[in-house]
Amino acid sequence: MEGSSTATLGRDEPRLAPRRRWLSGAALAVALVAALVLPQLTTNQFYIHLANLMLLNSIFAVSLGLIASVGQISLGHAAFVAAGAYVSALAALSFKLPPILGIVLAGLVTGLAAVLLGKILLRLRGVYFVLVTFLAGQVFTLIVLNWESVTHGANGLLGIPAISIFGLPLSTRLRFYYFALAAFIFVVTFVWALMRSQYGRAFRSIAENVRLAESSGIDVSHYQIVAFALGSGIAGAAGAAMVHYIRFLSPDSFTFNDSIAYITMLVVGGRHTMIGGVLGALFLTPLPELLRGFVGAQHIIYGVILLCVLLFIPNGLVSIGRSFFNKGSETGTSK
Amino acid sequence: MDYSILLGQAVLNGLVIGAMYMLMAVGFTLVFGIMRVVNFAHGEFYMLGAFAGFFTYVYWEIPFVVCLLIAALTIGVLGMLVERTLIQPFRSDEMSGMIATLAISVIIQNGAVLLWGPQPRAMPDIVTGTLAIGPFSFPWSRLVVIAAAALIFTAFWLFMQRTRLGRAMRAVAQDTETALIQGIRVNYIYPLAFGMSVALAALAGALMGPVFSVSPFVGLTPMLKAFVVVILGGLGSVPGAVVGGLLLGMIESFTATIFGSLVSDILQLLLVILILLVRPAGLLGQREA
Amino acid sequence: MRGFLKVALLSTACAVSSYSASAQTLKLGVLATLSGAGTAWGLAMQGAAELAAEDVNSKGGLEVGGKKYKVEIVAYDDHYKAADALTAFNRMVFDDSIKFVVGPLGSAPALALLPVSTENKVITMTMAFTPKALSADYKYSFRPVIPSDVFSDPQIKWVVQKLGAKKIGGLFPNDESGQQVGAANEAAYEAVGAKFVAKEFFERERVDFVPLLTRVLAKGIDAFELNGNAPQTAGLLVKQLRELGFKGPIIRTGGDATADILKVAGKDATENVYVHQPINTDSPAIQEYTKRFETKYKTPLNAFSPFFYANVQMVFAAMQKSGTVTDSDKVREAMLGLKDFETVLGKVNWIGEAQWKSNQQLDAPFYVALLKGGAAQVVAKCTPKVCE
Repeated sequence: MEGSSTATLGRDEPRLAPRRRWLSGAALAVALVAALVLPQLTTNQFYIHLANLMLLNSIFAVSLGLIASVGQISLGHAAFVAAGAYVSALAALSFKLPPILGIVLAGLVTGLAAVLLGKILLRLRGVYFVLVTFLAGQVFTLIVLNWESVTHGANGLLGIPAISIFGLPLSTRLRFYYFALAAFIFVVTFVWALMRSQYGRAFRSIAENVRLAESSGIDVSHYQIVAFALGSGIAGAAGAAMVHYIRFLSPDSFTFNDSIAYITMLVVGGRHTMIGGVLGALFLTPLPELLRGFVGAQHIIYGVILLCVLLFIPNGLVSIGRSFFNKGSETGTSK
Repeated sequence: MDYSILLGQAVLNGLVIGAMYMLMAVGFTLVFGIMRVVNFAHGEFYMLGAFAGFFTYVYWEIPFVVCLLIAALTIGVLGMLVERTLIQPFRSDEMSGMIATLAISVIIQNGAVLLWGPQPRAMPDIVTGTLAIGPFSFPWSRLVVIAAAALIFTAFWLFMQRTRLGRAMRAVAQDTETALIQGIRVNYIYPLAFGMSVALAALAGALMGPVFSVSPFVGLTPMLKAFVVVILGGLGSVPGAVVGGLLLGMIESFTATIFGSLVSDILQLLLVILILLVRPAGLLGQREA
Repeated sequence: MRGFLKVALLSTACAVSSYSASAQTLKLGVLATLSGAGTAWGLAMQGAAELAAEDVNSKGGLEVGGKKYKVEIVAYDDHYKAADALTAFNRMVFDDSIKFVVGPLGSAPALALLPVSTENKVITMTMAFTPKALSADYKYSFRPVIPSDVFSDPQIKWVVQKLGAKKIGGLFPNDESGQQVGAANEAAYEAVGAKFVAKEFFERERVDFVPLLTRVLAKGIDAFELNGNAPQTAGLLVKQLRELGFKGPIIRTGGDATADILKVAGKDATENVYVHQPINTDSPAIQEYTKRFETKYKTPLNAFSPFFYANVQMVFAAMQKSGTVTDSDKVREAMLGLKDFETVLGKVNWIGEAQWKSNQQLDAPFYVALLKGGAAQVVAKCTPKVCE
């Protein structure tokens, strides 16, 4: 998976040598086959559950990365995830909307909400944007908690139906896995294509230097809103997908701690690349489970890993792979 | 109970909470003003201060004032070490520094849980009894907090205004480049500022320990409130932190007493968001360059 | 590195010990809150399971169907979050192949888990007070603790009659237990002629209640209801109420929190506090259990613990009766068949058919106690019908 570095979010890469392109293509193919076949080989449902979480978290991290590509870090990402989840869950419970449509609806609603919010919030940049998204996320959690007539407050929503595709309910972990895998591939491909397009170029210019981008004719406001809306919309849709898997939703399901987790995944994987989000999610999701035996130490190890990555591998896990491949090449792009 | 009692009680409550918020916010804004670091671990130093106060007061049975001093010194030194080793590497990268403090907060909080257990500890009041003025009843334990906070802040203010070190800090906060040219050793100022900042948080924690009890989780809410106050008052402005702290304490106390806590929480957040959008520099902050 | 070494050593030790013992292992899961505000309860559950396991292990194991089983306790922390509970439960059921679980603790985790536990035939012993935890749909869900639906009516009736209180005030956490218990309480008070004139909700993490209490006191209440607040919160409420000058009676119609209330509020503040006491602290069996628990865990006993201890003992007895440790259907049948089972609580039975269409609620006597001079004195003994 390492090879698709042309889809960087913050750095322009030199064109890859044809041999490397071939290698990365082959690596991708192998990964795809493995992803399709491996779950059939294990009977341990817990691993499949873990895989599902990893796929969903990857989507959350990548969508956050999309917002980060214009240089803005959102500390309220979990609120959009939750918003999408509630939209779809309520639509399914109150209006019997098929979950598959609910997911689409969730994505549209959260995307639209992000457009409206973005018009106001994206005027701020840097630390201020971080803080305002943090606060907005807190407000959302409070509203969801207290609007009992609609959301059932802390009691949460029970018995949310599973996704049904052409009459086949995705009620087992394995079935949901293939759905999640498909969604994951779709999102990753979409973002990759987006970043290679004119949009991606505009995003990167804005991240580098807002004033410069503006003076070279780029409509900063427009592109920021696009990134924010797409990132949040994808997150909302993924949140809806998740809620039709867990089948229970409460204000506790997606909180500020989850926003922190998504940022951690993005940073640990590699903030400046799209793959970073995926890598971070794949690495960090199973970690608490692996460490579960050491109750208490588990969280500390999480924090220590984050700190170590920041200190010693500032461009994330992706850069380890990259420097490995770049051995001998002088185009070191890490800071 | 009639309205005057309600109001009087609300004022006192507001002052007590405001005093604590002020101490938290001043430290937080100091670090941001001087180092441009958003310290997500600020609340955990508050918690460490609470524990320091708890252990020294309950197990060593020394006068509380000494406990406060010990708490401030130990946590302050710890802060300086943390700055030198873990924050300094991120001087040029604000975002990474912020995330690093996030990681530090996770480590400190869970370390506390491992060391001391998750159970909250009850701390005996430093002074018992209430001051009854007519129909009002003010617990001495809370009045003491207000007095102590006022004293601590005065000491801090004098330090910043009257000592060379304090002036050096303010110079660095205003313009690091010029300060460097003037010969101010920025590499010493940074750890010192960070140490002072968390010492203030630790003092707040130790002061509030007897009032609210002590557990590894007590740092979360003060951290949130520090954020809110600092935005209200202006990132980097110490007078803003004072005014903002007391103001937020009052707003919280009054809205909670009149409308209940849920409405109060939402109102506070909405107010802050409004400020960020309309006047991001806060009430007394500097305009960002 | 140290972590890795620990794992290596641990696994070698396990391998060695399982070779040396000829007994098989029976894993019992504990899914509870082991960090944060509900830890007192989580530890009570874990301790109960561990003590019950110790009892049988010290005799060489649990003898079922001619084989001896060493009981192993597997405990996971759910952080009082439904999502974490679900993941932990998944791991317990699919990775650890556990069929008997002490837990879940809270109503939210319980509601999230029950579909999964029912589908996989895992017997759960829950502390959740929500009436939805027991139903004909959840065949494997048992509740050993007496929920407020059962104890609040007789207790409130007794207290109100004794105190002659008419105006009640209370503060509830804004979560599933608080919202639901609050409603139940209000109904119970109205049924006996008292009125809830001040009912406030707050965020679970809150520690400063003075503004809210000021608000409540402004309505001129006769008595304050502590209700289902977490133990530490209850203590803080008592302390802050007294600091505000409230001298009236404080009532706790909720789970056991006496130790924490005394610790946080102190002896003087806790005068005139009526608490629901699930256990009779004068009974020798309870005193012995208390001593054993407190010596081992160095923390005051939370009164929920003996209930789980009793339930686990019943599970063991049911296993022996039915001759299996893996067929949860048979164990369930056997357990429901246990009548007047002797435990540290006295003789217990199963009830609940009429109320929830599920006869899987433990029935044991409970008590009302008055706090005086830092100790709880039993002032009334109760059944689900009446207190006297």
